[in-house]
Amino acid sequence: MSTLLSLHEAAGTFSESALHGIQTLAAEGKDNPRADFSDTPWWLSLVKALIIFVYLLVSTLMVIWFERRVIGRMQQRPGPNRNGPFGLLQTLADGMKAMLKEDNTPAKADRFVFTLAPLITATMCFIGFAIIPLAGEVSMFGHRTPFQLADSPIAVLFVLAIAGIGIYGVVLAGWSSGSPYPLMGGLRSSAQMISYEIAMGLSLVAVFLYSGSMSTSQIVGSQGSVWYIVPAFFSFFVYVITMVGETNRLPFDLAEGEGELTGGFHTEYGSMRFAMFFLGEYINMFTVAALATTMFLGGWQAPPGIAAINDGMFNEGWWGLLWFTIKLWMFMFVFVWLRGSLPRTRYDQFMRFGWKFLIPATLGWVVLVAFFRGAQNGWFGDAALEIAGRRFPVSSLAIVGLVAVGALAFGWWWDNRAMAREAAANETAPEEIDPYAGGFVVPPLPGQRLRETARVGAPALPEADPVTERPSGPAVFDFTDKEAPRG
Amino acid sequence: MSNPYVPILFLLALGFVFAAGSVFTSLVVGPKRYNRAKSEPYECGIQPSPRAEGGGRVPIKYFLTAMLFIIFDIESVFLYPFAVAFDQLGLFALVEMVMFIITVFVAYAYVWKRGGLEWD
Amino acid sequence: MTSGGEAILFWVLAPMAVAGSLGLVFARKAVHAALGMALTMIVLGVFYLAQGADFLGVIQIFVYTGAVMMLFLFVVMLVGVDSSDSIVETLKGQRAATVVLSLGLGVLLAGALGRVTIGDAPADKVHALNAQNGNVSGVAELIFGRYVWVFEATSALLITAALAAMVLAHRERLGSRPSQRAWSERRIRSGENLAGLPVPGVYARHNAVDTPALLPDGSPSELSVSRVLTARDQVGNATPWVEAEREIERDVSQDRDRDDAAKEDRA
Repeated sequence: MSTLLSLHEAAGTFSESALHGIQTLAAEGKDNPRADFSDTPWWLSLVKALIIFVYLLVSTLMVIWFERRVIGRMQQRPGPNRNGPFGLLQTLADGMKAMLKEDNTPAKADRFVFTLAPLITATMCFIGFAIIPLAGEVSMFGHRTPFQLADSPIAVLFVLAIAGIGIYGVVLAGWSSGSPYPLMGGLRSSAQMISYEIAMGLSLVAVFLYSGSMSTSQIVGSQGSVWYIVPAFFSFFVYVITMVGETNRLPFDLAEGEGELTGGFHTEYGSMRFAMFFLGEYINMFTVAALATTMFLGGWQAPPGIAAINDGMFNEGWWGLLWFTIKLWMFMFVFVWLRGSLPRTRYDQFMRFGWKFLIPATLGWVVLVAFFRGAQNGWFGDAALEIAGRRFPVSSLAIVGLVAVGALAFGWWWDNRAMAREAAANETAPEEIDPYAGGFVVPPLPGQRLRETARVGAPALPEADPVTERPSGPAVFDFTDKEAPRG
Repeated sequence: MSNPYVPILFLLALGFVFAAGSVFTSLVVGPKRYNRAKSEPYECGIQPSPRAEGGGRVPIKYFLTAMLFIIFDIESVFLYPFAVAFDQLGLFALVEMVMFIITVFVAYAYVWKRGGLEWD
Repeated sequence: MTSGGEAILFWVLAPMAVAGSLGLVFARKAVHAALGMALTMIVLGVFYLAQGADFLGVIQIFVYTGAVMMLFLFVVMLVGVDSSDSIVETLKGQRAATVVLSLGLGVLLAGALGRVTIGDAPADKVHALNAQNGNVSGVAELIFGRYVWVFEATSALLITAALAAMVLAHRERLGSRPSQRAWSERRIRSGENLAGLPVPGVYARHNAVDTPALLPDGSPSELSVSRVLTARDQVGNATPWVEAEREIERDVSQDRDRDDAAKEDRA
């Protein structure tokens, strides 16, 4: 309750200050970016690009160490703790080692594409971050500039498009190795990525419906009162699943199922070219997590309670970087946590989940949100209820009611079906069983009686010696027989 | 700054220089010891499978997946401007979009029914 | 509005686009051709972005590079790269049709370009519209306003695509696929290989799956090697390992004989 109150309070202060300290609306167009780059000379953009680049590299070095340490904790072992304080320099040491390894190119590989693929992955992973606002407007070298490299009316789509190009790295690496395991791994993981990209893109549509823009600064700015995780909770749920699938992380790291595909698409890679894929994977994790932060968790804005302190003093300038980083690392922890606790799914289960649940469910959710927004706009009539000082349109309440009734009905039907199925499965329990029927001694279920065996003069069952009475089954396995089905 | 995309090029250039630079450095710094077994395809120790030069064939299932991906990709491409301009467009666009989604859903239901979404 | 920056952009990117399309035509490997095409697509998208057509540009990259070219790549891998092209023309008169259509496209492009460069240049109009209305909203108003029928017709096109993909690429299953459980039950019923098939041989000097295991009597077990490897004639030979083992056994027994003989001598 207190959080709700503080949320409401924060909403109040926010609407009053009308995004105090953020940029003025640059253009009249509603979906144009709100960030104002007019006081940003080109060299400042270069400096910002450098800062983002270093931020990403340092974060990668940190997260690999973090992952190994946290997983170590989860498995009750220390994890890397030798190089540097707390083993912090372990990743750097590993990188140096990769650098000093022989860079081997297989004889059957397509040399040009084999080198191109890791370069594509490593280059594309960086630029997705260009449109993420790391903080609000900050002052740098005497200029007021938003702490984000670029923004445009299609910023979020830009990240998705870059992710699409990034898949090329995977599929080309698999193809160019000239070896079966990488080919299969590359195809699998590209099919996996494109399948989950749809659900990911669809889940973001609900956010656009609320924000009315695809520019990241607009989306962050319009989350001043309520973060979109609240009204678009299902989208958030879908996005978090797809972001794990999109980055090929456990439990969805089917492309490198060691038991079946050795290393997946990068089996033939070594040295720095392999390190580039590794780097790409981790930076992609940061990019999808940063997008989730921006879309659903209010981006760089302070959490509701803190945002209200002292007229939003923690909610502007460089403070944004702190909140952003904290939110980002929450997602990183979830990634690691998933890896530490879940086994890998099977490929067909994974694809079935994506195509048969995530996509239709997200489409339905988008339609629902669209109707809800329409009701809020008063397209289905103006009748409204006044509850506790807030106005709720009757039509949106009706939609919520309909959905709730539908969900209840579905749950009831589902439960009934499950119960019927259970009853059907457990039906065949006769009252009396023959313990020797199948050739092996079978104990009775609760409430069952043992039938007297047909043998004349057989002693009462407790006295029978099942060991000597056991019928002789196939004692010796005959391997020379024709092949039995595998599986 | 006239064009908002120019700073992205800076980041692109940084990323590319870093990637190409580290790959090149490792080529220079790393050892080179030729070994015939090393340059054979890695197949966990068995004799490398005989296969067509430059790549064998892959299951047709991937084609189907890519095709379905395009269909839904195009559907989502229409959803983006719809969502962004939702408030200006009004009720008519909502009805249009629902009709569109239902029509595409027919294709989806057909593919599902015929088993096009199964993997085995 | 050909500023210096735009000129640089054009002279850097246009050769890349042309190189990509030339690569598409002349590359010997099909995957390289597909890559050239992807490059051209990306460069076109960048051009759109630079001209203020934000949505169009990103969709160009999103759909063409992300989806369509991925399909092409799959297809290229699907047919096998070494498969030779058929020289027989399946569509009669397609060359003539191609020439006519290309000419038509050329005339259309020339007309459009001429209107832009000679008539009133609408280049700045895009930027003005973007600032006033927003690029994406502008596109949305066109799609859901003026071109609404085209938009609805697209859904019919998508249905056709789905149908075609299913007809061309879907292999219907005749029976139902036995599940893991069904396999297991079948194995138990038949009473053979209850614990699964024997695993392939693992030797100190060779631990690969293509070498059959040795049964207790020393004979190699055919069952332990995957069917696929057998069909491909890729099965390794266990004989050297068997012989090596025999040798060791012989040595050991000879040593033992010698020791026994020595003991007898001493006695």
